[in-house]
Amino acid sequence: MKKVTQITRRRFITGSAMGLIGLPLLSSTFRNVAPSDRVRVAVIGLGNQGRSHMNWFNALPEVEIAALCDVDKIRLEAAANQLRAVNPEARPDLYSDFRKILERKDIDAVTCATPDHWHALIAILAFQAGKDVYGEKPLTYSLAEGRAMLNHLQKNNRIFQLGTQIHAGDNFHRVAEIIQSGKLGKIHTVRLWKTGGSPGLGFPPNETPPETLDWEMWLGPAPYAEYTPVRCHGTYRHFFDYSGGVFADFWCHIADIMFMSIHPKGLYSIESRGERPYDGISDTPRWIDVDFKFRDLDVYWTTIPPEVPDSDKMHIGAHFEGTEGSLTCDYNNRLIKIGNEIVNDIPEIPVTIPRSPGHQQNFIDSVKSRQQPESNLVYVREMTIPMHLAVISFRLKRKLEWDSVNETVKGDYAANYLLSRTYRKPWTLPL
Amino acid sequence: MKPIPYTLIISALLMLSCSTSVKEDYTLLFNGKDLSGWNLLKPGGFEVIDGELVTRSSGSGTDIYTEKSYSNFILKLEFLLSDVGNSGIFIRRDPSKPGTGFEVQLLAPWTPWRDDLHCTGSMYGHVAVSNRPDETTGKWYRMEIKCDRNIVTVSVDDQITTMADIDTVKTMTGMPFTGYIGLQGNHAEKEGQFAKFRNISIKDLDADPDYVITGFSNNNWELRYISRLAASHLGAVMISPLAEMMTAGNPMEKSEAKQALFDIAAKASDPLTSAGEKRKVRSAIQTSIKTTSSEITKDYLVWIAGMIN
Repeated sequence: MKKVTQITRRRFITGSAMGLIGLPLLSSTFRNVAPSDRVRVAVIGLGNQGRSHMNWFNALPEVEIAALCDVDKIRLEAAANQLRAVNPEARPDLYSDFRKILERKDIDAVTCATPDHWHALIAILAFQAGKDVYGEKPLTYSLAEGRAMLNHLQKNNRIFQLGTQIHAGDNFHRVAEIIQSGKLGKIHTVRLWKTGGSPGLGFPPNETPPETLDWEMWLGPAPYAEYTPVRCHGTYRHFFDYSGGVFADFWCHIADIMFMSIHPKGLYSIESRGERPYDGISDTPRWIDVDFKFRDLDVYWTTIPPEVPDSDKMHIGAHFEGTEGSLTCDYNNRLIKIGNEIVNDIPEIPVTIPRSPGHQQNFIDSVKSRQQPESNLVYVREMTIPMHLAVISFRLKRKLEWDSVNETVKGDYAANYLLSRTYRKPWTLPL
Repeated sequence: MKPIPYTLIISALLMLSCSTSVKEDYTLLFNGKDLSGWNLLKPGGFEVIDGELVTRSSGSGTDIYTEKSYSNFILKLEFLLSDVGNSGIFIRRDPSKPGTGFEVQLLAPWTPWRDDLHCTGSMYGHVAVSNRPDETTGKWYRMEIKCDRNIVTVSVDDQITTMADIDTVKTMTGMPFTGYIGLQGNHAEKEGQFAKFRNISIKDLDADPDYVITGFSNNNWELRYISRLAASHLGAVMISPLAEMMTAGNPMEKSEAKQALFDIAAKASDPLTSAGEKRKVRSAIQTSIKTTSSEITKDYLVWIAGMIN
């Protein structure tokens, strides 16, 4: 992509409609965007979510998948074959080291679906290399990494979109409109939940990593650990070495609707309770409950759904309690309760928030327009801070008092220490 | 209940003979003057008379419980029952949840149906005595109850009366391994009856680092969990054995030791922890950093040491 093109709303609506129906057979018909207008994208990390990135972006007419990267040769080959099967014109270059992609001047943007402990470093190095980034959630492994990302995004004038694709759906936009309309009065309490937690994963013996996997590179900045399959693909999230379990995984999806609707400010107290699994090497919560206090707002996270309408049907959800009524929602559903009446919508509340053309299209539009997308870094970084603090409170088994202006924990040296983690050599986090 | 393996009885006897000779590790649970250290569910069940703890109530719910909970311990006491006295010792019980834990029975032999499963020394209703003790009333007996994780041993006047691997007792499966120790208020169905206690002392096995570290290898997750809590409580003294286990243990031991090390450092890092305790933990970690043979353990110790200011 050479020039920055301003696109019209009409065009991106058409574009997104094409995205929906433009899958494999029709793709060549719609791929008539001039090569110079195409955004050349590389996908880093090719597990389930990375292959979804590949397919989603491949389906956008303005995008060409120029390169694929994974530290696991088997996954890399499988993804490349999948892409070629869907799009016979695709000629992706294949890499096992993402730094080779960053060296390529002809690549405009990267998407990143690696394990969490790689998110920040890949994004920052990509920003420095002049690339825009569509990155998977959770945003970062540590809170300090989020600050560093923001610094380098701004310094290099880059675009970032977090892969919280639920954000793009109509339901979250409509919920935000209803809450912001004031019909429920002042919101004083929000209850968020996600059922389930980390499994123990047993006590498997360590093994020699398969020859097809670059285990050193997979570990990257994380502490060195001997290889055992459950530490890696599919279940790495249940280790604090790499992530923060189910809680860290899903926080950003459902806290998103709270931040979208009321954007709580002035977080000052975080207290987690919970337990790690007993029957295995994983150490992230098998359950976790957290009390958050924001200025004028109490937020409760629970592993068991609270007793609110229809919560038994929602494995994840948010419940807003206002002075005039309440609203309960998940990704696709909402229930509004005012008095004894329960409804799904209040039609007189006008549609005021522009709808997304699709989360990936929104990113590509931003790459072209240089306007930040909906799940931009400033927004998602703020939304992720409570998650990091809850994890630290869980690990230290104590309440934290947070100074949201200076972003430090008051009077707790260890909690501040855990806001960041020293990278394993030779990796360093550019601050 | 399955029969107790012979080797287990031998080892229990050995431990019993060792423990009786060591007095200094025991803490008095009854000071001979008042009920300090005990919680009363209802007032009036127990009184202190001439240095003895006496229960002569006839209602239920007049039990008393230790203020502290215990998991693994050796409890020693002396008891005396009147003609129809009926009392008992609750083990690993949560007083707010009736029926939790179990009771070592103390009962005068006043009814014909009080069989081996319900007589003095039995684990009431769960495990019968295998060696029925003397039940002469009006006489002091020494009782010892040893709770060594899943193995419970009861003896009267140095003779083992009852022994159980509670993992193999169907009615005891799922019982917690932690709880309070209680003395049951006398509840004989006859006026003027009583039970008396004196010289009550306890050795908390979870205060011994050598004992605690062995719990990390137990296949029962709850017992490993209790050992981790005990290690966290012991602090600095556990660092070296845990660092060794994190280096040389099996995958389960490594994982448990790693978590326990974190918990100790996290607790030491608490702003409420004294400077002296912080220093002790930090210095123990520094020592293990120098002596460990594993790079993984070393890097981990360096990281957790960083938590403590």
